Amino acid sequence: MQTSILNDKKAPYCPGCGHTVITHTIDKALAALEINPLDVVAVSDIGCCGLVDGLLNCHTVHGLHGRSVALATGIAYGLNHPGKKVLVIQGDGGATIGLQHLMEAARQNLDLTLIVQNNLLYGMTGGQISGLSPMQFKGERMPEVQDVPGFDICELAHRAGASLAARTFVGDSNFNELFRRAFQTEGFSLLEIVEPCPSHGIKKVLDLHRTADYPAVELRNERPPHRTAPRETTSLLDSLPLIRARFSSNLRQRLEIVIAGSAGEGVQSCGDLLAYAGATSGLYTTKKGAYPVTVGSGFSIAEVILSRDRICYTGIAAPGVMIIVSQDGYDAVKSRLGKDTYLLMDASLAPPPGHCVISGDFRKIGGKKGAALAAVAFWIGQTDLISIKALEAAAGMHRHGDKLVANIESASRISKREIMLEG
Amino acid sequence: MHQDRKLVFCDGSRIMIEALAGAGASVYIGYPITPANWLYAYASQRFPTFLAAPDEISALQWAAGFSSTGQLPVTATSFPGFALMLESLNMAFMMELPLVIILAQRLGPSTGSATTGAQGDLLLLRGAISGGHPLPVLCPADFIDCWHLAARAAVTARELRTPVVLLTSKEMIMTSRSFDLSLLPPIVQGQLPSFENNGSYLPYRAGESRVPPFLPVGNTRHQVRLNASTHDHSGLIRKDSPESLANTMRLREKIEQRVAEFTFYHYDAEGEADTLVVTYGISSDAAREAVSNLRARGEKVSLLILKTLIPIPPPVFQIFEQYAQLLFVEENLNGQLKELCFGQRSPSALRSLNKIGKMITPEEIVEEVMLCKQVF
Repeated sequence: MQTSILNDKKAPYCPGCGHTVITHTIDKALAALEINPLDVVAVSDIGCCGLVDGLLNCHTVHGLHGRSVALATGIAYGLNHPGKKVLVIQGDGGATIGLQHLMEAARQNLDLTLIVQNNLLYGMTGGQISGLSPMQFKGERMPEVQDVPGFDICELAHRAGASLAARTFVGDSNFNELFRRAFQTEGFSLLEIVEPCPSHGIKKVLDLHRTADYPAVELRNERPPHRTAPRETTSLLDSLPLIRARFSSNLRQRLEIVIAGSAGEGVQSCGDLLAYAGATSGLYTTKKGAYPVTVGSGFSIAEVILSRDRICYTGIAAPGVMIIVSQDGYDAVKSRLGKDTYLLMDASLAPPPGHCVISGDFRKIGGKKGAALAAVAFWIGQTDLISIKALEAAAGMHRHGDKLVANIESASRISKREIMLEG
Repeated sequence: MHQDRKLVFCDGSRIMIEALAGAGASVYIGYPITPANWLYAYASQRFPTFLAAPDEISALQWAAGFSSTGQLPVTATSFPGFALMLESLNMAFMMELPLVIILAQRLGPSTGSATTGAQGDLLLLRGAISGGHPLPVLCPADFIDCWHLAARAAVTARELRTPVVLLTSKEMIMTSRSFDLSLLPPIVQGQLPSFENNGSYLPYRAGESRVPPFLPVGNTRHQVRLNASTHDHSGLIRKDSPESLANTMRLREKIEQRVAEFTFYHYDAEGEADTLVVTYGISSDAAREAVSNLRARGEKVSLLILKTLIPIPPPVFQIFEQYAQLLFVEENLNGQLKELCFGQRSPSALRSLNKIGKMITPEEIVEEVMLCKQVF
């Protein structure tokens, strides 16, 4: 078995660059662990560190700047195999662009090893300072000086849950051994390697410690790696109840109904039940919702179309029926009220002047969450376009079926005398 | 209504997710965003692997990672999330990694109105890939399309080794209908072009099919190199070698030369009609109804609903040439499909019906067609 992940190509790095040392150390550590190069996927970031691909005999994936950890996350999940080694090679620039990805991989404790080659600067673009540069550091050709402390990515990764987060310096005594330990770690292992950049930054290893006064650390969390295994699922369509047209309808023409109320008050499920009841009455039906981005406040509108003919366009411009049970709902739909619109409103609302309104105490009968359904039930009872039994049957399938059916029964018993006609 | 019908009450999101799962997409990775939340919810029930990503950049990177291992991932988003995905989408396109993105349009610009439908992202998709390469875009016009085109998006992604966008909008995926499931055709699963012979493997060496055979990363037969930068057949960075530039050109050719494999449109031609209504996606229902109403009044008018939007399939232009007047109906301000087909200075025989914030109605289309006829 071939044991080296390195081919015989010459490293493309500047003389004295720490990347060369790191590349050879990765190779030695994997070889010592007898890992088959084709069991290794090396994901490289953008920057000088990303030139490593051409030196490698293993699988190589060269992606975007800062995204290599996220890309490797998908690969590690996709492989889902403890025998495969996913290795990410990133510089300090990539690590800060993709800090969120790094934190997420640590939080999930994904089974991969991230080598952050921290040469204290952005090497490929001229030596600008990075988020991992130490205080007062400056690149040789750049005027900017680091005046805020750099991130301690080892501490961050450790706090986020990484199995291993360690920092060392090129040439330190534990250097080779640390790589081996990282590759043997189950879960997320991060090695931050502080290294020279002979072209733009620190040229000698000896000077590195003086400039980058970071502590060498080896921080561990004892937790298993997160893995995901495919699960068995079933069809989303097979679980739908099949509709049998077991009720009848007196509807002749396409009827467009707008139900308007407040968010969280059951308006959408009321629209669904009416449309479902229409379908069990042999009609074509559609239902759509309209609401603001807020979840538990503001208006909620359900638009339902019932028709004997196939429904194509599902929009409603001038509804034939409007059922309004709250002020929020009224405010949202009042501009759509036509002169022939059949208008049913809760008695608590001031009716629009000059319009024939049927009002009832739907909020009292059905409660806040049942007002829309009570109003719809009353309307069905009055018009007989579909059977109230169809609505009850639809409601009976709901998880709160008993309560909804009781609400429908109460509403359908309201006598006409209780209804006030205005306008 | 036939005897074997399977009538249910459901929405387009459910159908789309089921079709993708049925077509062999095994992984859904997403970050919720309105109006794509139902897709997310259904996917969390249906996909063998479901992962909640912390943001949309992660979602697409994770998806690309899964894809490199041979699985077909799906995500769904809307413009704000899609904007974050853009660089990663280019990466997946360049690496030739199959995945499906459902883009649920909502009113823009920017965060716009999350709960208002729109058709404002087509030109964004046309320019999504740096260099002007075509990104395949399929756009359902009804529930049967939600099924069929979702499955075909998966097939196209695999067989052409490319990201594919399924372009939709709030009104398609968040409207429920009584619907007969027996109308849904059987789903065919596409195959990744695999590498079967015993010779050497170069991950970006393509034959006549223009699509290189695929091997997953992590396989123990051959080294695989994937690369988002300009690369040669071996997958190594080569700035401007003839081989690497030819490889970049091939990415365009494979889509354009094989567009017939994913060409979908509905052409309802009326004999002697001089006006053609052209539309797509959520404006299709209104157009169908308008054309039906016009014909009931004795007007001659034809209808073309485009479902493959990028690249525009060549037969579509042949259809255009048969009409004196074309009316493009789109829920956007600038007539994006019209511009995609004819550029910014379109011929005078073209008219546009555009609107934002509300669906275009059949009555508005009828009125516009009658105006077309008067002008003509």
